[in-house]
Order: sequence, then C-alpha cells, then structure tokens
Amino acid sequence: MKNIKYSLCIIITLIGTSCSKEFINRPPLSAASVDALYKTDKDFLDATIGVYQGLRVQYQNMWQFGDIRGDDGFIQVTNQPSTTAVDLFSINSADALLNSTWSNYYVVISRANILLAKIADADPNIVKNKDLYIGEAKFLRALAYFDLVRIFGNVPLITKVLTLEEIQKTGRTSVATVYNEVIIKDLIDAASKLPVAFTGSAIGRATKGAAKAVLGKVYMTTKDFPKAEIELKELTAAPYKYNLLANYNDLFDFSKDEHHSEYIFDIEHEENLGGQGSVFTNYFMPNVAALLNYYGIKGGFNESLSTTTGFRSIWSLTDKRKNVTFTCCGEWTNPTTGAVVKFNSTTSQSFTSKYLTSVPAGGDSKANWKVTRYADVLLMLAEALNENGKTDLALVEINKVRLRAGMAVYAGLTKEQMRDNVAIERRLELAFEGHRWFDLVRTGKALEACAAVGMKDYMSIFPVPLSQVNVMNDATLFPQNPGYN
Amino acid sequence: MKKCRFHFKGTSIALTFLLLSFLFLKTTAYSQVSSSTLVKGVVQNMKDEPLSDVSIVIKNLKTNFTAGTVSDNTGAFQFSGIPSGGPYTFTITAVGYEAQVMSGYNLKIESSLTLLVKLVPSVVSMESVVVVGYGSLKRKDLTGAVASLGSREFKDLGLTRIEQGLSGRVPGVQVKLSDGTPGAAPQIRIRGVGSISAGADPLFVVDGYPTDNIQTLNPNDIESLDVLKDASATAIYGSRGSNGVVIINTKRGVSGKPKISFDTYTGVQKVTKLPEFLTRDQQAQYHFDAIKNRNIDEGKSVAGDPATWGIRVPQTVLDVLSGKNTNNTNALDSILRPAWQRSYNLAVSGGSEGFKYLVSGEFFDQDGIIINSNFKRYSTRANFDVQLSKKANLKVSFNPSFTNNDNVVAAGGGAGPSTSIIGTATSAHTYYPLYNADRSYFVYQTVDASTDLFNPLALVLEKSDKFKRTRIQSNANLDYKFTPDLRLNLLFGATIDNTKGYSFAPQLPAFLNNPATGTDYASGGYNWIGEYTLNYNKKFGKHSLAALAGYTAQEDYLEANSLTSTNYPNNLIQTLSAVSGIISTGTSTISEWAIVSQLARVNYNYDGKYLLTASVRRDGSSRFGANNKYGVFPSAAAAWRVSDEKFMEKIRWIDQLKFRASYGLTGNNSIGNYASISTVNYLKFTTGGAAVGGFAPSIIPNPDLTWETQQQFNIGLDLSIKSRVNVTIDRFISRNKDLLLNVNVPNASGFSTALKNIGVVKNTGWEFVLSTQNLVKKFSWSTDFNLSLYKNKVEKLGPSGDDIISGNNITRIGYPIGMFFSYVTDGVFLTAAELAKGPIWNAGLADRTRVGDIRFKDLNGDGKITSVDRAIMGSPYPDFYFGMTNKFSYGDLSLSINLAGSQGNMVYSNAMVIYRLIRSRSRTLSTEANYWKSEQDQGDGKTVRPNDNPTGGLRQPSSRYMDKGSFVRINNISLSYQVPDKLYKSLKLTSARIYFNATNPFIFTKSLLFNPDVSNSGNALTPGIDNNNYPLPKSFIVGFNLGF
Repeated sequence: MKNIKYSLCIIITLIGTSCSKEFINRPPLSAASVDALYKTDKDFLDATIGVYQGLRVQYQNMWQFGDIRGDDGFIQVTNQPSTTAVDLFSINSADALLNSTWSNYYVVISRANILLAKIADADPNIVKNKDLYIGEAKFLRALAYFDLVRIFGNVPLITKVLTLEEIQKTGRTSVATVYNEVIIKDLIDAASKLPVAFTGSAIGRATKGAAKAVLGKVYMTTKDFPKAEIELKELTAAPYKYNLLANYNDLFDFSKDEHHSEYIFDIEHEENLGGQGSVFTNYFMPNVAALLNYYGIKGGFNESLSTTTGFRSIWSLTDKRKNVTFTCCGEWTNPTTGAVVKFNSTTSQSFTSKYLTSVPAGGDSKANWKVTRYADVLLMLAEALNENGKTDLALVEINKVRLRAGMAVYAGLTKEQMRDNVAIERRLELAFEGHRWFDLVRTGKALEACAAVGMKDYMSIFPVPLSQVNVMNDATLFPQNPGYN
Repeated sequence: MKKCRFHFKGTSIALTFLLLSFLFLKTTAYSQVSSSTLVKGVVQNMKDEPLSDVSIVIKNLKTNFTAGTVSDNTGAFQFSGIPSGGPYTFTITAVGYEAQVMSGYNLKIESSLTLLVKLVPSVVSMESVVVVGYGSLKRKDLTGAVASLGSREFKDLGLTRIEQGLSGRVPGVQVKLSDGTPGAAPQIRIRGVGSISAGADPLFVVDGYPTDNIQTLNPNDIESLDVLKDASATAIYGSRGSNGVVIINTKRGVSGKPKISFDTYTGVQKVTKLPEFLTRDQQAQYHFDAIKNRNIDEGKSVAGDPATWGIRVPQTVLDVLSGKNTNNTNALDSILRPAWQRSYNLAVSGGSEGFKYLVSGEFFDQDGIIINSNFKRYSTRANFDVQLSKKANLKVSFNPSFTNNDNVVAAGGGAGPSTSIIGTATSAHTYYPLYNADRSYFVYQTVDASTDLFNPLALVLEKSDKFKRTRIQSNANLDYKFTPDLRLNLLFGATIDNTKGYSFAPQLPAFLNNPATGTDYASGGYNWIGEYTLNYNKKFGKHSLAALAGYTAQEDYLEANSLTSTNYPNNLIQTLSAVSGIISTGTSTISEWAIVSQLARVNYNYDGKYLLTASVRRDGSSRFGANNKYGVFPSAAAAWRVSDEKFMEKIRWIDQLKFRASYGLTGNNSIGNYASISTVNYLKFTTGGAAVGGFAPSIIPNPDLTWETQQQFNIGLDLSIKSRVNVTIDRFISRNKDLLLNVNVPNASGFSTALKNIGVVKNTGWEFVLSTQNLVKKFSWSTDFNLSLYKNKVEKLGPSGDDIISGNNITRIGYPIGMFFSYVTDGVFLTAAELAKGPIWNAGLADRTRVGDIRFKDLNGDGKITSVDRAIMGSPYPDFYFGMTNKFSYGDLSLSINLAGSQGNMVYSNAMVIYRLIRSRSRTLSTEANYWKSEQDQGDGKTVRPNDNPTGGLRQPSSRYMDKGSFVRINNISLSYQVPDKLYKSLKLTSARIYFNATNPFIFTKSLLFNPDVSNSGNALTPGIDNNNYPLPKSFIVGFNLGF
C-alpha cells in the first residue's frame, strides 16, 4: 500500500509540473478570443465584414461633414446643438460628434490593421481569398484615412498593430505623408487585388472600380490631375461597365435595386434585418405627419437638413434633378390626391427626397449612402481633363451628365468657364450626397462660400477632439489644430 | 496537450475513490478491537463546577495508540477498550481554559482508572490552537494577526448563516447585515476596502478547501472559525489573500460510544425598524398644499373649488380632508408579517480510535418577513477519520446540501413600473385601499392616484421567483507520517454545484397590464482541488522548526443559461412551455478558471521566545495575462515573547506579553476570468441585400493584466494579565497597488478605454481587543470588547487622475473610495429677503427657487448653483466600529449578550429621495410634518414647502437625502439553562438544555429608515447606498438541545 501511495505522489508531481502551463491556459469558452480566430478563409471574410461594419457606423454622420458644413444644407431647427455648430462654424473641440468621428474612423483602421497583420502569414491554400481580403481591408483603411485627413488634417498614422504604449507615443503625421504612405499605396494595391464586380450575396463589397474611383478623388484632392485623369479615364472603358442611368430619379427610387450601372460604392443598408437600416430618411424628414404617413415613414422625423436659399437659387426649373433634390418651401403636394399640405412655421421648410422611402421603424431605412457613383467619376474626369488642358475632352464628359438631366449641353467653353461649370454641375448633380464641403475645400472656394455663416480661414479642417488632446497630453506630439486652441 | 488536464482531474477523482475504499476496508479492521480497560473521570473548573465539551485525548507513548473523547454535561468522560500497558498521557483541552497534560499512567488488564481534572481558565488561552493556512499553531507561537472563534461562540444563537456569527466579534472585520432576505449573506470586509473595481469578498476555506460559497453550510457543523488578517497569515493564500481569509473547520467525531445530539428551535421574526411617515390626515393636507403651491408657482388661480384648479387636487385627497374618505391602509402592514423560522439538527458522533465519525443532518426553514419569501436548507454531513495504519490517517468530509429560495424583489424605487415591494409599499398612500370592494386588486392608475404604481400586495402574492441549489462538497485528506518529524498530506476535493430557478410575473391590471414575463435559468458546474503538502517539525535543543512545502491545483467550471419570454398567452402556465417557442432573450455562457500554486512556510522559534515565520506562495492563474502568468507572494514575520524573558520573571502579574511584526505581499485575483484576453463581438453588415455576420475585436488585449497587489505591514501586541485580562492591539498599514481601472486610451488604438493595473489605495488602521474575566466564581461574568478604526485613501487613479463619479458617489485622489458627492444643503429660504440674497437655482426659469424652497451652498461664490457647486458631502465609512460580548453564568444558567456598532458613517438613501421629494405623490417622512407655509408661518424653520412640481433644484441629489448611519445593534441576547440531570435521568438522556435567543432585538440609531447598516451592492465605488433593501428582521427563538 505504501508503494501505491508513493507512486501516486510521483505521478501527481510529474503531471502537475509538466501540465501547469497548459492547465492555467483557459481561453474563453463563450466568447471567441482574437487569438483563436483569423485562421480560416471564413474567419477572414467575417473579419472583413467587421471592417465594413465599422465604416457604416461613421457614414451615418457623413451628411454633417459633406452637406451641413458646406453651403447647400443647413439646420433650420435649432434643437440640435452639435449639427448647428457644424453648420455655423462654431463647433468646439469637446463636441461629441468630433470624438465619435475620430473614434469611428480609427475603429475601421484598427480592424483593418489587425486583419492585415493576421493575414500576412496566412497560407493562401487555406485562406483562398487572401488577396481579396487584403484588397478590401486596404480600400477601407484608405477611405478612413482619406476622410480623416480631410476632416482633421494631420492625424496619427498607424498601419500596424501597435501596443498602447506605442500609440501613446504616436503623434500627428502630416497630411501629405498620410496620402503618400497609406492612402495612395493602399488604393493602388486594393485596385490590383479587387475584382471588377461581385455577384450574388457579395454585391455591395468594394470593387476594383471603387478603389479606382476613390483613388481618382484622392488625386483630385492632392491636385495631381494627370494621375487623376488616368485612373478616372480607365473607369469609362472595359472591363468596367459603368453607365449613367437613363432616368436620374431612378437613382433614388429605393424600390429598385441600388446596384445599377451607375453604382460604384455605397455604404449598404437594408430594412427589417435587425439594425441594418440607415438613419437618413428619418433624419431629413420635416415634421409633417401627412407626408410621413403618405410615404409610410415610421419612427419620426429629425428635420436635420434643410436646403439653403443660395443652393436653391442655382437651379433651372427644367432640371430633371430638381424635384428629387429638394422640395420647397413650406408646402408639399400629395402626389396621389394633389392636395397641398402647408408646413407649420416652426418646421423645416424644405427637405431633400434623395433618401425618401418607406421606413418600418426609426433608423431602419433601406436607403444606402452613395460614397461615389459614376456621375461623380465623370464630373471629376471632366475637371481633371480641363485642368490638364483638355477642355474639349472635358466637354464630352460634362455633357453626358447634362444630357441625362435634360439640360442644354455646353459648347465652346474656356478652361475657366469649364472649371466653374463643372463645380456648378457637381453641386447640382451630387447635392446631399456628402461631396459639397470637400469640393469647396479642395478647389479653394470654401471661405468664399461660407464666410457669411462664420467660416474663418483656418476652418477648412475641424478641431481634433479635446478628449484625444487630453489623453495624449503632449502638445508637441499631438497639438490642437491652429485657431482652435 | 489538453488531455493531460483531464488526466490530472481523472487522477484526482480516481484517487479520491481509492482513498474512500481504504476507508471502508480499514473501518472493518479497526472496529474489531476488543475492550480491556476502563478509564473514566470528571473535568471541573477551579470552583469544582463540571465542565462539558472538554476534549480528552489519551495516548500510549510506547505504542502511539491514541483515543479521544469529550466530557458530558456533568463533566464526566469515559474511555473503554483502552489496551493495557503504558505509559499513557492524557491531554485535556477546552476553549477558554489552559490545556493540561497528565502523564505517567500505566494501565493493567481489566482494571479501571478514575481521574479528576481541574482546568485553569484563560481569556484567550495561549495554549489554544489557532488554525492558519495549511496547518495550525498554538496561539502563543503565532506571529500574525489571526482571530479565532470556537463553536461555543455560536451556540444557541439560531444563526441562519455562519457569517452572521462574525458580527461584532472580531476586530477588523466589518459584517454588514444589509439584506434581510432569508438566507442572504451579510457583506464582509476585512481591514477595509482595498480594491476599486475587483472583488472585495474574503476567501473562505472550509476544511482546507478554498471556496466562495458557504450558503449551504450548516452553522451547527462549525467547530471553529479563524480570520486571517495580516499578510504573514494571508500570504500563504497568495493571489487570493488580499481581502482576508476566513478558515472554517467543521466538527469531527471523537472516539467513544455514540453520542447523539438533537437540537431544535423555533421562533418568530419581525421587522427591526420602520420609517415614520406622516399620518393619513397630515399627508392629505401636505398633498393639498403641494398642489396649491404648484398652481401658484405656475401662475394658476387657487380660488374656488380645488377640484377645478389648473392642476386639480385629487378627489381622494379632498375626500380625506372633508372626512368622506376614512380609508387608512398601510401597505407595509400588509406585505410584512411576523415570520416563523425553525431548525432541526441531529448529529451522531463517536467511534473507536481507528475510526471516528460525525454524521449530521439539518433542516432549516425560515420565512421572510415579507410575505411569500422563504429560505429552506437541507444539509447533511458525514465526517470520517480513519487511522489506516500507524502512519496513515485519512479524513473524509462529505457535505451534500440543498437550498430553496422563494425570492421577492424588495429593493428599488416606488414609481412607475417598479417591482420593488418595499418601494411600492412605502409609496402607496394610506387613503387608497389595496383591494377593491370585489376583492380584486386596487389599481393605482385608473383613479386620481398620485402616481402610477404597481399594487404592492399583488407584487408579493402574484409574482413567483423560485431558486434551488444543490451542492455537494467533499474532500478526502490523507496524512502520512514518514517519520515522527516528516508528514505528507494529500488533499483531494470536489464540489458539484447546480442551481435552477424560474420567475414569473403575470399580466394584471394591478401591474398596469404590463405583459406577462417569465424567466427560466439554471447553472451547473464543478470545482475540484488537488493538493499535497509536506510538513517537517523538529526540535534541536532550544531551536524548534516547522517547515511546510506544498503544491496545489484547483479548477472551476460553470455553465449558466437564462431564457426570458414576454409572449405568454395568459397567466395560467408559468413555465416557458406556454410561449410556443418565442423567447425574448436567451443567454448561455461557460466560464472556467484554474490556479496552480507552490507554497512554502518556515516557522522557527528559539526557546519559545523568539519567533520567526516566513512564507512564500507562487500562483499561476488562468485569469492573469500571458505576460504575467505567475505571481510570487512572500511574507515574513517575527514575534518576541517578552514574558518568557528572565527579566520579566519578577513581574508576576503579566502572564504573557508578546510583540509581533509582519510584512508581506498578497494578491486579489477577483479580476474576472477573461479580462486580459481580447475577444470579439459578433456584428452584421449588409451585402447582397442580406445581413451577413462578421466580427471585430471587442476589447483591447492586455497581456500584462494581472492580480492586484497588497503590501501590508502589521505590528501587534498581545498582553495577558493574571489570566483575567487579555489585550491585543494591532496596527496595520496596507497599500493596495496595481488596482484594476478602465482608463482612457488614445482612440487611435481603435478603442476608447482599456483595463489596466494602475490604481493605488491605502488602508491604515488600528484594532483593539480587550477581554476580561470580571467574575470567575459561581457567578461568572466575562467581557470581550473590540474596536476597529481604519482610514481609506485613494492615492492613484488613471493616468490623468480624474475623479470617478458613480451616481452620487465620487472616488477622488486623497479621499476614501466612493464618498458621497453632490449639492450641500444650507437650510430653507424662509423669507423673500433671504431669497433675494440667493443663491438661486435656475434663476429666471420656471423651476427657479422660491421662498420656502431649499438653499444650497454656493461653494464657488458666483451667486448661482451649478454643477461645480457639488462637493463631497459625507462619508459612507465609520470613524470606528466595535463589538462587545458579555457572558454571564450562574450555575446552570448562562446568558450572553453580543452587540455591534458603527459610528460616524452616513447613508445616501434613494428611498429618502422618494419620501422627501415634497411632491406628496409618495408617502412623506414624518420629519416633514412642520413645513414652511408662509413667511408668517415658517413651520420649524428647516422644512421646505410641499410642491407637486418641485422647484429650487429639490430634485437634485443633495445632502438632504442623506441619512445617519451610526448605530448600536444588540445582535444577540442568548439565555440558556442546563437542565439538572435528575429531571431527565429517567428519559435515558445524557444532557438537556433549553435556550432562548433574541437576534437583533434592539437597534439604537438616529437613522430614519429601515436599517442604517446598508450596502446596496458589493460595488466598491458605490458604498453606503440605501435602496429600499429587504428590511432586517429581529427574531425571538426558543430551542432545546438533547444529548443521548
């Protein structure tokens, strides 16, 4: 018996010491640990979907930067202090919108960085779509950085998985470096890895055309017009099959498929899928019960975007784009009965119908956000050609857009006239799709357009969030933008 | 590699079985030893009075034969079947007395021996045994701060849980009886709170088995309870020692013929204390004036019929004032009740020197003082001690138990859809009935009731919430003596713990027709431990050495799930089978932890005068981050028994004087099972028109995340004077560092916060014990008094040191954790002239301050009250807390009175916000009776005017809603009478005792609410919050104890 006991002791001792490391290694059983994932092709697909999801969160805000900040939209109903401050150039660095915007973009970037770090060593025989996921992650990371530098200027450049200590020491990198080191390189690489089109259940993910279109826009923004022309020109020919829709209004008819010939890249939304819908329909609706009831919009109205007088004044009455772009002023005609409904004077007097659809519940609209579409590409191409001295070729591109709108085609324009007309055409064609403010800034027209509502020269970028200045706590590494201190 | 984990576990289970089979083999072998000699005797104190429950151990120094027994009620004891020979030594020990050794007895065949033993009392006997981690020591050899309580301290108290027995008895241990729910645990904090966001509960060790749940333990089974406080005592428990350790050992059999003990009691409980509210008529007038003031404030006329005012006075109120309504229903009277409790406990113990046993069974049944609440415990225990051979001894403990809770929701607010029984019962006005004339429930919504309210009586009668727990805790402990000096101890234990519950709330008008809701939940898991320790004890001349080395591994696994549905078609069926599969929410989780440790300790003393202890433990835990998997926790202590020095020989009145000092590191591993690991959130995005699943990391990984560390320094002194007075003083300084906090990180990381080991909290304190034997004659009287003072101070928070504000508590550097924080009140604006001086709340706005409203202190002097005027307005911590036990005995009668008190702490009361919000929509405290009515009639000059729509910032949290937390509570008055044996000799009884006990019979406090000893949650950031918690009961029980 003594022997049995001795041998048992010895067994336990041996097991105890040899297994103790394994014994105390307990990965979570009800929540997948990061270390256990990023192994299979499906894991990386799921992680890629996670990056898209991050971008969707932020793009619910895009109208504030693209349209409220610019001179097309404003907030007439003043109970939304954050949006009002964006509109009137009075936003301060403590505003929650800025902190959430900053955070949302870095969520996208950090998810992409983790994916890219994990996929680097993946075996392509296991992760069969390795290149595809790299392409998508880089496209999304580039888009996030592109927006970040356009909104905040210099930002911390993080392209790897860093420790908190390393991030704490990572200061703000110049805009030029961010363009050169990440945005352009990522988009070029993404364009080389992404497919021309997706089919079936993958439709909606970023394509080669999306990468090219965004890259074209990046070059437009950095004023590298020759490169912009090359990238954008490619999109007008095979293998791409982009074409303007015959009817402008079909772009905003959400009973139809949003992935048509003019679609390049959207932030995808669907109703009734449990949190996959967008906020835009509710956000832009005025407080008019008859209107909401007519269109079947549940979950209320936010009246967050009204159209400015200046914007409305540039429109020709015959422009086929007008009715869907805005309704004004203070009344709405029931399309079925013809009855005219007058708005209450405290209600937003105008609104855009570009996101008008029935909504089953607040914030659950099926309306996508169009990051870029073919008309945007054509107008950028026209602008690039013009800047490169090919005004005659530019005429061809701008007239495609004019024709579809039922407007007279241009002929015999000088370079300066073309430049001005492209700017106006962009404003008409792409209103309330998040482009105007960034167009004003990149063409140097922002101050001219917005000084009247309070813009100062340093306000082409926003202040960086106060919370980030505080947590970084290093004025050299992480200063506030000039003018906002 | 995973296999070996299960292999280890498999081995331990196999080994347990093996040991159990030895047990039964050896039992038969030893029970056949035949009797030869009779030894009997009587144990008495110095006054020739018999002493019961004294342990007598007989040992043959040649053969190492040992046997033990205890004295009965008459002090008599008896050994039979002692082998002849010798020399025999008798060791006689009893709690409260010096141990005695009688040696040199030789026994002849078929002879008998009669002994008379006289024991000398000792307040805290220096020879008594103190249980420390992984062993025990004589108190005189102790170097650390350890408090011990024996089973006698808990006798006849009718404890519902053993932790209750700690209240007021041990310095440095704060036992908060904050929850009167039957079966609920008190909150125990040892030497203050040393953690901000991790757990603060002490570690319990039952018969050597570390565990976190002792709800199922039968208090009658407890032999001793030892509280380890300083680092030299707790460091042997390493990363689980910071919050203190409570070691519980259960009773074991002593050899002798079977002793049967039957104990039963029954009693009644009532609420200890009720808040005082305005009378019905006062309340109606108050309500009337509240509406009137609101109309005036809002510029509405108060002329004419009050039922036609802009804000009309409820008709019921007018009816009360006109005498039409005579209803006076106090809902508290209906939901509270005198509640019964009863306990039956049967224990059988005995055995031979080879096999000793104690088997017990308990049925405990406690009704709660809120209707429909109940706790039942069915607990059995089998403790076996088997001498396998001369060298091997096996101890087995087996404790299956079952508990059943019928729960009610007491805590919470009163208005709206609150399901708080106390909240609604204290809110429902007395002029509304609970039942309509047709016996249906009155609905506090369809009439002009003050506020929408669930009917409190319906809440207790119509809702159900049943919870059951089955727990089997068992361990086997094999002790093997290689040589007289070297022992190996193997411990294997396993616990199986299963819970199951369901709750249901029907759809009723009385619940404002909220949909019927039901939840079904269950958990199941196991915990096992394998441990081996080597003990080496040796004396070399005047040097004595005791060394310990050990290895231990423990694993815990828990599965839990919960399903809720709001889709019940009707109220008939309460189980989820009625919802046709439509579940509203469902969760299912699995979690586990594992710890593996090596430990070592050396106790050395020279001549019993100079004592040194050093210990170290290395813990590897699954909870620690990958870069910090192992923690090392060393400690060292020294003590000097000055009284044993030559120069002290002349000072005869000092029996004992000892100085102690210790320093050590311990850890707190209650940091969550997976806090260091980055896990993913599952999320969705739309492609192809459908939602597709994806994931993204949910928290930033922190591979450095680890235990919180406590560095504790302790000095102490033990003094004993003339065996009558014992004094213990301890001073401790503990610095808790690496405290877990969620700190802000640059969002460029993709995350906004990260969990880091960063905070520092310091606790310093004094502990005093004074025990005196005031009278030691036939009438004896002893007093144990203890007092604890401690200070808590936050020294470091996150990188920027920002305050942590949690509701109305603030955690700020330089202050204790969780001080009360908000606006400080400064009387009432009694006149327009006073009001003109300000400061005014919301000047110019509709809810601005008016005459008769509260005045806040304008701390920054800007004439306005804004959020910067908030300040620390009180402390949830007492200046000191104390306890005292007085024991009296006279012949067969003994009386024990135990009290506990707390001085200087405040309570922030969510309930008070309801009772004092002057809206009169809920019942109002009687303190508001003499309120401000006009500049001419200012009432008592300190009470604000009633107002249905409060102005002047009254809704803001403020010092107005704080209550006094100081109290002195008589925990127990226990009287017992040992029935003289001539009365029951004919009944074949060996002893009989009748006892009476009152628990919490009196509480002396200025608190206005149910219970000043509150703590709404275990969250260290929000201490001292009252939230209408289940009121504390007082109980009166009568019981008897019979021995056969």
